[in-house]
Amino acid sequence: MDYALEAKDLNINYEETTVLWDVTFQVPSGVMIGVLGPNGAGKSTLLKAALGLIKPLSGKISVLGRSFHEVRKKVAYVPQRKSIDWDFPITAEEAVLMGRYGRLGFLGRIRKADREAAELALDLVGMTSFAKRQISQLSGGQQQRLFLARALLQNPDVFLLDEPFTGVDLATEKAIMTLLRNQRAMGKTILIVHHDLPTVEEYFDWALLLNIRLIDCGPVSQVFHRQNLMNAFGKGQVLFSEAVDLSAKKMSGLL
Amino acid sequence: MSFLDFFTDPVLRGPTWGTLLMCISSSLMGVVLFFKKRILLGESLSHATYPGVVAGVSFFAFFFPAHEEWTFVAVLGGAFISSLLGLKAIEWMEQKGKVRSDAALCFVLAVFFGIGTVGASAMQLAIPVWYQQVQILLFGQAATMSDSHIILYAVLSSAVVLFITCSFRPLQALLFDRDFAKSAGIPVLFLEKMVFWLLLFSIVLGIRSVGVVLMSGMVIAPVIAARQFTHQLRMVFFLSACFGALSGLLGNILSVIGSSYFSFQETLTLPTGPMIILVSASFALFSLLFAPHRGWIFRLSRMVFFRLRCLQENILKALWRNGSLSFLDLRKAHAISSFSFRLALFGLSQEGWIEKKGGLFSLTKDGIQKAESVVRLHRLWELYLARALGFEGDRIHRNAEEMEHILTPELERQLTVLLANPTADPHNQPIPQKERGL
Amino acid sequence: MNPYWGAGFFEFFAIFFSRIGQFMLGQFSALSADEVQVGVLSCVAISCGVVGPFLVLKKMAMFANSLSHTILLGIVSSYLLASFLWGGGMFDLSTLLMGAAVAAFLTAIFTEGFVRFLRLQEEASVGLVFTSLFALGIVLVTLYTRNVHLGVEAVMGNVDALCFSDFRVAAWLAAFNALLIALFYRPFQIVSFDSNFAKTLGISCGFFHSLLLFLAATVCIGAFRSVGVLLVLAFLVGPYLTARLFSSRLSRLLLLSPLLGILASLIGVALSRHLLSVYDLPLSTGGIVVMVIGLFYVMALFGKLCMCHRWEKFHA
Repeated sequence: MDYALEAKDLNINYEETTVLWDVTFQVPSGVMIGVLGPNGAGKSTLLKAALGLIKPLSGKISVLGRSFHEVRKKVAYVPQRKSIDWDFPITAEEAVLMGRYGRLGFLGRIRKADREAAELALDLVGMTSFAKRQISQLSGGQQQRLFLARALLQNPDVFLLDEPFTGVDLATEKAIMTLLRNQRAMGKTILIVHHDLPTVEEYFDWALLLNIRLIDCGPVSQVFHRQNLMNAFGKGQVLFSEAVDLSAKKMSGLL
Repeated sequence: MSFLDFFTDPVLRGPTWGTLLMCISSSLMGVVLFFKKRILLGESLSHATYPGVVAGVSFFAFFFPAHEEWTFVAVLGGAFISSLLGLKAIEWMEQKGKVRSDAALCFVLAVFFGIGTVGASAMQLAIPVWYQQVQILLFGQAATMSDSHIILYAVLSSAVVLFITCSFRPLQALLFDRDFAKSAGIPVLFLEKMVFWLLLFSIVLGIRSVGVVLMSGMVIAPVIAARQFTHQLRMVFFLSACFGALSGLLGNILSVIGSSYFSFQETLTLPTGPMIILVSASFALFSLLFAPHRGWIFRLSRMVFFRLRCLQENILKALWRNGSLSFLDLRKAHAISSFSFRLALFGLSQEGWIEKKGGLFSLTKDGIQKAESVVRLHRLWELYLARALGFEGDRIHRNAEEMEHILTPELERQLTVLLANPTADPHNQPIPQKERGL
Repeated sequence: MNPYWGAGFFEFFAIFFSRIGQFMLGQFSALSADEVQVGVLSCVAISCGVVGPFLVLKKMAMFANSLSHTILLGIVSSYLLASFLWGGGMFDLSTLLMGAAVAAFLTAIFTEGFVRFLRLQEEASVGLVFTSLFALGIVLVTLYTRNVHLGVEAVMGNVDALCFSDFRVAAWLAAFNALLIALFYRPFQIVSFDSNFAKTLGISCGFFHSLLLFLAATVCIGAFRSVGVLLVLAFLVGPYLTARLFSSRLSRLLLLSPLLGILASLIGVALSRHLLSVYDLPLSTGGIVVMVIGLFYVMALFGKLCMCHRWEKFHA
């Protein structure tokens, strides 16, 4: 059986700090997974490593049983809103259409079918009336929905979303979750880096608890309990982080 | 021509002292810009002085043509005003035009320089002698500086030094944490305004020696060099000024020597600006590579030594577990070049941790203690992972193999306390206790 | 005899367009100096107008400044190399392209190297690299050509000394840049907007980054004869910033920016001719064009602020 996401002994350093250490887990397909952990736990890094954007120091991570580049067309990435330059001269419509670029290559023409698919995606996220607006004129929730529409246009089997609910109003959050649940019903896998603990049991089937190292990974009912949360968010880990950090610095000659 | 002649000879001393003094203030202001992360502001502002220089000299040429030696006052004044306008233009573009900082810097740089170019072309036709005066300011020419220059530049440089000395503490707070400084009641806005005025001041002072086009180099390079040698802001300022002054001095000397050396049939003048920049850039590069502790070479050697130490500690552990071993036996476990291995063994025996008897290596008494301390760290860490963090399996051992070389005595103490002075590790092997006293 | 001799500002345009008309009807006469200037500057405007927007969007404006300085070293070294290897002239297209590649390569390598291996702040790295390489360029130029004027000319250019061969070179470069940007419009757009997303689509950000760098270098090097390396920055950044005040679609901006640049060139050359004819002032045409570009931006910004102000007051 191909796991949606699988990591084995994954170690990632970033600028001489250890961000992920010895992470091993498997996540099945067709479920909604929440990636949880405190700030700096390496959640975004895990996503980026899965997408091939960051090279691990050692170990490997695979999507749908393969390296990312082989299954690129089946995976959609929704990045953090703060990583985008919203002043870019582009309309909502054009931004959504970018979801098709991967399929068209540089020189392919955008066909009518692509444009109609974009309109449909915008409609699904409730953004049809904003199609011609420049993206900085959109609210936080609208920007998030825009990115989701772009992901939908890629028609993926796996969605990877990085903190989609940060700074987003409740109505938008509910709307996005409804959309994602529909996708899950179609058999897609959805992985969300999430920061809001109270909503975990309501939203997710599976949970992945991270704090530089893997705390636990499994169905929410089994994994989302007090002991694990204490390990993930508690202080007992401080010594570990310090030591691991020191190790990275010594290896790179900084200390 | 001896070295001292540069300081005393009536023709040479003007340029020598002048360049030395001029570069001090820009180096100091460079420190402030560096920590505010706005170091390229110097580039824009120095180019923005050009139209002011043109205007100032033209003004002087029309109204006071007889007093040519005082032209530099007009140069300073005009440069100051136009770079101030440049600063305002940058702010205006960033705030009102919502233009990103680097685009604003670039645009103001080019447009102001263009205005200056137009003015200069008018001068070239109308007042060609004065035009030459302006042109030498593009790349700097210290050669015709006189004693009056020295005095003026000394006074102005001292003003900059005085400001920095007097306002050092609030400046330090501002550079480190602006919001905290504000909340602590430090007049942040006033201070920043003063900083910008002084920056304009120092740029304007420096363009005679370094030139309009290259001035930003004297803002950037000295602080890069200084930063490599110290962590204290006070020392960064001091070293930056030293590097700046030295670059000014050597650059000027080199341009004088170079000009005479390369002049064959006709005289060639090597402009001072590029020489000063090349000297200060060399200082910067040298510091980046060779500064103790922060330099690249040192980082590299620290990496190498650390790897060697890890190898040595692993050898000690192997000997502790197996008693005496031959060279080949030891070598089997480590896939490393024979040379590093021999080096490690050599180091260990020199320091007295191992000895060689009849082809076999074994631990000395001190070596046994040392090996035990490493093993102690290994097993303590394993216990920590298993008990406090809930790790299982082979990873525990593997991680401990890495961490045993890293854990400091401080961390070891914290571990011992956390685990309540344990005696056995997860595999139920005894943890060597720390010996109190020797 | 120059047909524009003695013409004022408006007469310039009259003569200019009538000569274009003549050219269209096949009654071709040799290009006069003013037309060559307009031609070269327009080509520079086109090159800069298509490459500039991406530089600004990728936050590489000051890097472009850096590049414009290291170009001098690129030119000098490629000239030395070319004249040694095959006796190439300084302003041959091949020498220029090679110089562009050398400059782009050196700038990128050193800046990247300082940031990554020597752990230097990015802005400081950019600054250190270009001032030292430019200083080196100036020294080499002075020693080799025995005077510093080539250095000055590289910085400020000399529009009034342009000839037809410069027009040809500039036209080729304009076509080259426009073609590449048109061909790779989509990847450039997406790499500038969201580079992580671009990578997940399989687009090589590194390749397009290097390509943009190379194009920027060819633009700088193509322009150094006319406006000089410093003033080309105005062409790269100015028209884009002006156009951005009025449009937020990248495709339109890539058309508007060159147009604004061409307009500024026309007006600038006409103005220069006017000042020469009426006031007998032969001023630097390149500088005048840059001032016009600056003026366009100021007027546009003022206009927009006034409009917004009135809009707010109206709706208050």
